[in-house]
Amino acid sequence: MAETGDGAPARSTGRGFGRVLVAVYGLFALAASARSAVQIATKFHEAPLAYLLSAFAAVVYIVATVSLARGDAASRRVATVAISIELVGVITVGTVSELVPDAFPDATVWTGFGSGYGFVPLVLPFVGLWWLRHTR
Amino acid sequence: MAIMAVALLLAAWAFGFVLANRPPGVPLLVGGAVLEALLIGFLIGGITQMTGSHRQFARAEFVIYLLACVAIPPIATAWGWGERSRAGTAVLAFGFLIMPVMVIRVQQVWAGPVG
Repeated sequence: MAETGDGAPARSTGRGFGRVLVAVYGLFALAASARSAVQIATKFHEAPLAYLLSAFAAVVYIVATVSLARGDAASRRVATVAISIELVGVITVGTVSELVPDAFPDATVWTGFGSGYGFVPLVLPFVGLWWLRHTR
Repeated sequence: MAIMAVALLLAAWAFGFVLANRPPGVPLLVGGAVLEALLIGFLIGGITQMTGSHRQFARAEFVIYLLACVAIPPIATAWGWGERSRAGTAVLAFGFLIMPVMVIRVQQVWAGPVG
């Protein structure tokens, strides 16, 4: 059991259901990293903005995965920030990609609210934030 | 395809253990090892096939997907094994469940066009 900084007991975010959540985040970290690595290495000039966004999403997922897995007080704060950025990212990119399709000539994990990934990227930040609250 | 069938059977089996409230056990580990052996064969077969082909397709993506296929079961198993409850079993179940998706993606990349 992790202790929060102010002495209140907290359930670790990497236990129980959190174990599964970290696995899902880990998969997205892997998927986003691999996708952006391929995009940036092979065709960066085609859609620099989309590929930089892919890389940014990958970093967000990696940070969320690691901090949720660690689950100590500092990691919980990092996880909250990362998952909040993820939420803003998926909604912003999702909205822009619907309104201005030309802005993103190639897909990122967040394009179309994550429609290429069964909309899991849209649901995941809500689950993540709920879990952080739930285990507080 | 054998890999998808085995992965789906393992996922169903693991979800059965989740419902029965069981921590990850040795039978699932053995099942995962069988799947992993098939995936290593898939990796080797895929790369062999790729080097013998002159077609245009996203080769780097193809290899990365194949490598991810081989990497996912051991990572999921190691992470799930660390939790001695049904949640650990659920991680294994999830790891098995996504393998058919991964295999389909490999086949899509193989078929081209660059996506």
